[in-house]
Amino acid sequence: MFFKKQSVIEEKIQRLLRYLEDMGNIFKYAYESYLDGKFEELNEGNEELDKIEKELDDLGRRIQMSLVRESLMPDSRDDLLWFLTKLDKVPSSFKHSLGEIVIERPEIPSDFNLPLKNLLQHTHEAVRSLANCTDALFSDLRAVRQHVEEVGRQESMVDKIEYKLLNSVFENEEFELSRKYQLKSVLKQLGSITNLAEDVADAVLILSTKYSA
Amino acid sequence: MFDPTIIIFLSSGLFLGWSLGANDAANVFGTAVGSRMVSFTTAALICGIFVVLGAFISGAGASQTLGKLGAVNAIGGSFMAALSAGITVYWMTKLGLPVSTSQTIIGSIVGWNLFSDSYTDISSLMQILSTWIICPLLSALIAALLFFLTKIIVRRIGIGLIRFDGYTRLALILAGAFGAYSLGANNISNVVGVFIPVAPFSELNFGWDYRVSSAQQLFLLGGIAIAVGVFTYSKKVMMTVGTELMTLTPLAAWVAVMSHSIVLFLFASEQLESFLANHSLPTIPLVPVSSSQAVVGAVIGIGMLQGGREIHWPRVYGIVRGWAISPILSCLICFLGLYFMQNVFQQEVKQDFNYLISEGVIEKFQKEGIDTSSIQELKGSVFKSSSEVVRSINDKVDLSREQKQIVVNYSLQKRLIVTTENLETIRKNGLSKPQFESLKKFEGQSFDHGWELGDALVLKSSDWLIKGGVKNKLNDRKIKQKLAYIYRILQRRSM
Repeated sequence: MFFKKQSVIEEKIQRLLRYLEDMGNIFKYAYESYLDGKFEELNEGNEELDKIEKELDDLGRRIQMSLVRESLMPDSRDDLLWFLTKLDKVPSSFKHSLGEIVIERPEIPSDFNLPLKNLLQHTHEAVRSLANCTDALFSDLRAVRQHVEEVGRQESMVDKIEYKLLNSVFENEEFELSRKYQLKSVLKQLGSITNLAEDVADAVLILSTKYSA
Repeated sequence: MFDPTIIIFLSSGLFLGWSLGANDAANVFGTAVGSRMVSFTTAALICGIFVVLGAFISGAGASQTLGKLGAVNAIGGSFMAALSAGITVYWMTKLGLPVSTSQTIIGSIVGWNLFSDSYTDISSLMQILSTWIICPLLSALIAALLFFLTKIIVRRIGIGLIRFDGYTRLALILAGAFGAYSLGANNISNVVGVFIPVAPFSELNFGWDYRVSSAQQLFLLGGIAIAVGVFTYSKKVMMTVGTELMTLTPLAAWVAVMSHSIVLFLFASEQLESFLANHSLPTIPLVPVSSSQAVVGAVIGIGMLQGGREIHWPRVYGIVRGWAISPILSCLICFLGLYFMQNVFQQEVKQDFNYLISEGVIEKFQKEGIDTSSIQELKGSVFKSSSEVVRSINDKVDLSREQKQIVVNYSLQKRLIVTTENLETIRKNGLSKPQFESLKKFEGQSFDHGWELGDALVLKSSDWLIKGGVKNKLNDRKIKQKLAYIYRILQRRSM
């Protein structure tokens, strides 16, 4: 009764996090489909991702409006707006990474398939952990740290795989320079998702420390 | 008959109340409003209501200590005491030095004592001065403890950021209400305390049991003046304080307000004193303490708990310097103001009383442990001021601080006459039946000293007996209040 406005914002944020997880699932599925040569699924996934991103953008705007209009304390409001702006970059990075594949259709060496699927799995885990730590920020500050640490672990796994694959690309003398740079761009785009996830998770940790200290 | 010029004299107290509202409300809601956690309208409304409630319901406790320090006995004197305190607050604020209304009013009362050659009760003064050190220290200690405990609790409870925000806001509003109540209860005596001995209002009776004393009417007026100060001028100060204290997290801000409020409440609550006394525990002196000192102490306490690195020490020294200067400045302004008021404007700023060393008074001195062998030669002497009587006796025999006050209390001549008319006035005002019946037995008689009537009443009824000791403290105080009231009525009607 006393915190009706707060409950409404919390509920919207929960919905936003579910969208984010959905985007993670679709991204992984579509990317893996491409690696398996299923271009139809890739296109469907890309369209689905577009649709969810629009809904997510719309929801994000509504949350920001609620924060500005409703009765949150200005300090918390500023912190939340700053955080939501950071979080908003994660869905965009999914879209850019998959968009690059849809447009360029890069030729992925077959021996890259398995490590790339591993990398996608870690990316998926990192984003899920990011959703969990964000969820904890709004439900139980005590649980934030363990999820943030999980994001960090997944990000370092992605880094390792990305580094190995980049080495393989540039050590391979059969690849033309243009292909090397195209593959580098694909890998960098994929890596940037977990980098962003880690960046946002750090922001979550800062906020949880600030509000529990 | 009500004299409208009273309002002119009271205006200085109301001005002081206004400036207290304008300045000290920032100690209660400054952080919340300055950092926009709570809107100014909400803060001002809550602050205004609770300040008035605190002043009206619990204002009496701290004002008694102020009264002991020096009873300003003419309304012209009360006017100047309040005005000089108000001017000092205004000047110091203009100079950017934080001030305490409590300290300026103490300075003013001492200034009046010096001007009227009245004896300053050193024990009460020392008690008040000691709180100027104890208050910020206690506040710092409470803040550190509260901050530590709150952090542990917040870390242990499963709560999210948005709920945390909501709870913090609610806690800030509740702490602000508590702080405003404590501010009213503790600091109202600074605003109108000097007018209590010359209170121009009659007691109001509502039904059989409910009575609004003249002091309470003054407290209500003072409380309203504080509330007006909050509404009209505190926004600017709140914004400044809030901005200055922006380094505090909302949690730390709540702790600072709570600690400040607890300290003010501790030094103002008669209920707490009653609880402690009933359990034979040592009581806390009911003294007007500085709201600014309490909040600065609390912020330092939180800062120290975090290692003390963030405390801006030069700013702290500046604040302490302001605390030291303000009572001296107020004392000087009051002394000079009284001189001009009396000699240029021909206003009465003090009433002259006689201090008679009679046989009975010397016997009283002896019972209180004063060596009377060398003061026999003063028997029959009449002195024109309390300081003079203390000086004269101290020349003959070394008096302790307490004995000096005893000399003043016992030698003060009051000329009390128990008439049918003043018995009728006293009848309804809170005396028990045995108390009133015993007083009635002295109808037509007169007394030279208050204590003579007091002693005579004890012989007629044990309801007048002052038993002493911690456990009887509250009952003893009630008897003393009733006696003071009776003396005032008998003296007023007999003059």
